[in-house]
Amino acid sequence: MKTPLLDVRNLSKTFVARRGFMGGQSAVVHAVSDVSFSVATGEAFGLVGESGCGKSTTGRAILRLVEPNSGTVLLKGEDVLGANPRRLRALRRQMQIVFQDPYSSLNPRRTIGQTLTEPMAVHGLGTAREILEAVRTVLAEVGMPIDAANKYPHEFSGGQRQRIGIARALVLQPELIVADEPVSALDVSIQAQILVLLRSLQQRHNLSFVLISHDLGVVRHFCSTVSVMYLGRIVERGPVPAIFDEPLHPYTRALRNASPVPDPKAKVIMAKLEGEVASALSPPSGCHFHPRCPHVMEICRGVYPGWVQVAPDRGVACHLYPAGVGSTVSAAAAPGR
Amino acid sequence: MSKASQLPLAVDGLTTAFRVEGRWYDAIRDVSFSVARNETLALVGESGCGKSITALSIMGLVPKANGRITAGRVLLDGRDLVPLDETEMETIRGNAISMIFQEPMTSLNPVLSIGFQVAEALRYHTPLTGEAARARALALLEHVKIPSAARRFDDYPHQFSGGMRQRVMIAIALACSPQIILADEPTTALDVTIQAQVLALLAELKSETGMAMIFITHNLGVVASIADRVAVMYAGDLIEIAPVEELFEHPMHPYTEALLSSIPRVDRDAGDLKPIAGQVPPITAMPSGCRYADRCPLRVPRCATMPPLVGLAVDPNHQVRCWVRAADESVGA
Amino acid sequence: MSPLAVAMGRGAWARLGAGIRHHKMAAFGAGIVALMVLSALLAPWLAPHDPLEQDVLLRLAPPSAEFPLGNDSFGRDILARILWGGRVSLYVSTLSVLIAIFVGGALGILAGYIGGLFDRVLMAAMDVLLSFPTLVMGLLVVAMLGPTVGNLILAITLTAVAPFARIARAPTLTVKERDFVEAGRALGFSHLRIMVVHILPNVMDDILVMAALWLATAIRTEASLSFIGLGVRPPTASWGGMIREGFENILDAPWLAIFPSIAILVVMFGLNMLGDGLRDTSDPRLRHE
Repeated sequence: MKTPLLDVRNLSKTFVARRGFMGGQSAVVHAVSDVSFSVATGEAFGLVGESGCGKSTTGRAILRLVEPNSGTVLLKGEDVLGANPRRLRALRRQMQIVFQDPYSSLNPRRTIGQTLTEPMAVHGLGTAREILEAVRTVLAEVGMPIDAANKYPHEFSGGQRQRIGIARALVLQPELIVADEPVSALDVSIQAQILVLLRSLQQRHNLSFVLISHDLGVVRHFCSTVSVMYLGRIVERGPVPAIFDEPLHPYTRALRNASPVPDPKAKVIMAKLEGEVASALSPPSGCHFHPRCPHVMEICRGVYPGWVQVAPDRGVACHLYPAGVGSTVSAAAAPGR
Repeated sequence: MSKASQLPLAVDGLTTAFRVEGRWYDAIRDVSFSVARNETLALVGESGCGKSITALSIMGLVPKANGRITAGRVLLDGRDLVPLDETEMETIRGNAISMIFQEPMTSLNPVLSIGFQVAEALRYHTPLTGEAARARALALLEHVKIPSAARRFDDYPHQFSGGMRQRVMIAIALACSPQIILADEPTTALDVTIQAQVLALLAELKSETGMAMIFITHNLGVVASIADRVAVMYAGDLIEIAPVEELFEHPMHPYTEALLSSIPRVDRDAGDLKPIAGQVPPITAMPSGCRYADRCPLRVPRCATMPPLVGLAVDPNHQVRCWVRAADESVGA
Repeated sequence: MSPLAVAMGRGAWARLGAGIRHHKMAAFGAGIVALMVLSALLAPWLAPHDPLEQDVLLRLAPPSAEFPLGNDSFGRDILARILWGGRVSLYVSTLSVLIAIFVGGALGILAGYIGGLFDRVLMAAMDVLLSFPTLVMGLLVVAMLGPTVGNLILAITLTAVAPFARIARAPTLTVKERDFVEAGRALGFSHLRIMVVHILPNVMDDILVMAALWLATAIRTEASLSFIGLGVRPPTASWGGMIREGFENILDAPWLAIFPSIAILVVMFGLNMLGDGLRDTSDPRLRHE
């Protein structure tokens, strides 16, 4: 089996929210718990979930923009989490990030040219002329005119700024891009433009993506594999069409059903899911989803379901699908708690 | 077609202008539509299309420093709101017309309890005071399904989740049994599963009270779920209006068509998305004719003048503002 | 690109210029300040007489054709002394504010960026400094270390550091949360680079406003300390010292006290107008965020 480009195992991150002045009470938020997945070269991997599910933190933890508490992240077989500062700097060239908010992702005091030349200058990648040439190329690739280099971010629209953000992610020629809600802040017609752009870049450079989104339509369009997250854990993972057409986990089903579709005949199956997403500060015991689950059983309240590979490329953590029922527990899969 | 006076709301030729760097530009022009009892009209468009300004114009909330309604009428139950002064409008807002906004945290006062804010609407517009107002407010909160409403009556907005805060907003909006509710992107900031709950609640409340609703959104999926009729706006123009199924099955305006082809869907395999090339022109550089012409594959010379909104031969309820498409299907009168 | 150009964010001067052009108040203030700076710098050529030259015969002489502002108690030309006194004020205030910007700004950005315990300890230290009125600090320093110009600058700098630290820290806290800072980390930029190249330019606007206002405070402080005899020592001309002399002769020769007072007044007025104007223009209208 080929080494995947990105291999994430048992990633966990907790935040401590301190109340009171000096120490006092502290509450622990399990933002990410025991997350595992892998991404092949050229593959688009989706991470979906609602707010607070930990998808953004996972994305940042992979890049060590947030330091995970435990787990392993291997980029082309190399240990990212244990890398020393020098090695990390080199690794960072291979994995980049695209942000959600086009109005916050560019330094307003720097021209586009400065923003794009800086990474290459910092890493010493070529002479001034070569760097300028690279900037010219990357701007053209993202569909921006070359004279954009002399302008400031405020002179551009949201969609254009997003293109520039993508250009910045490309200048170091990474192999993996973590895209955190790259189109959520954009108008519908611009979303399509950016998605098409990302797809063409993926094909041209054989890029891998970890696409983080709450919009299932975007993930279905762009990704080949998807993981569904709820309160810090992956509850289901598999190929995109299968997960959305025949979801196994009740949460995946609820999420899919609640996602509005531009077809009046397919009216949203509304409000079958009662209750709020539980707080990450005090997740429910056992399966985190059990208070809202229409299929809840006694065991769900006390025991967190183990991960079960129901097919070679599909897994789920739910007591409805216990291990051994015509499936195998893969050794590479995340162990339950 | 019902007479205008029987419709909760009829907007006729509404034009609102804004001042940018000293000069006045039309933010919306010649917007006309009506909403019947118990009907949900979705007002759809991308940012800058004028949907929020339309709502603000209806409510008389256009910031006076830089904006003003320059033409048209807003008929609430037959009565024109445009000439009314602020005092008169204040008796109407929250009373006959209510509005729900997108960001419940900034629309609710963070230093007042939610119970107080719901009761406030009652105290302002109805003779209810004190205990009576409180009781009615509590009933409203229970009606919008706030769990443990009695216990949480005196809680503050920050103690609630986004979905709950939006329910509080809805309670405030409904307090005085308005004839029509304007909901400006009320679920855009909410998670998908919570959005489904709030949309269901709105639908339920609407059919209970028979009130009309104008639902503003940029999300065509949401439109398909809750609207009876849809009005599409682009760059300040109302360019198409039709019953919801008709709009999705037979979009007539090139923009509507293009928009529908550019949305990724969760229920269909990835096909090719067809993005719309180009951008909306800035308000300071709007063409006087059809504003979509620059990006439109069907453009003809006639598009340099603004097309009228006309009904189609096959369905007069389906109106479109396009020389080319209307010519194909025009009513002829 | 030179570090200074980087630090000034290349746009800061441009915005300064634009702000001054747009805003009448700032322009007016800038004009006054420019006038003061020029006259101070050109004092050796503008002063009609030697500021130190005494002439017993002209003691306390009122304004005349040859001495437009009159003469002081040693017969020295008041006009010349005002011009030369301006140099002292300029020197002391500019130097102390510059050092305070450098030190305070750096501390503020570091505190805001690093956060945690470091931030809290540093800010507590700044609070201690802030609790000293400038004059009291001046008295302390001069009393302990002696009344030299160097110590004068030290005293003013010490009180100015804390406000600049605070004013640098506040925008740092917001800016460091912006995605482009995270992008910088993801691109392998060092923390130092991020602080100097990305955060500092976003902080400069606030610092410039503060700088104008603090220059006024510094001038006033220098004058106050000289007035009570702890600042610039005679016979060197200084506005504060001149007012002190003038005070002693206020009934006989009021012009001794009036003219230096007017000088201080005008300069502080100009600086305050400049600062206010800058503050108005540096807020969202020109800030295209």
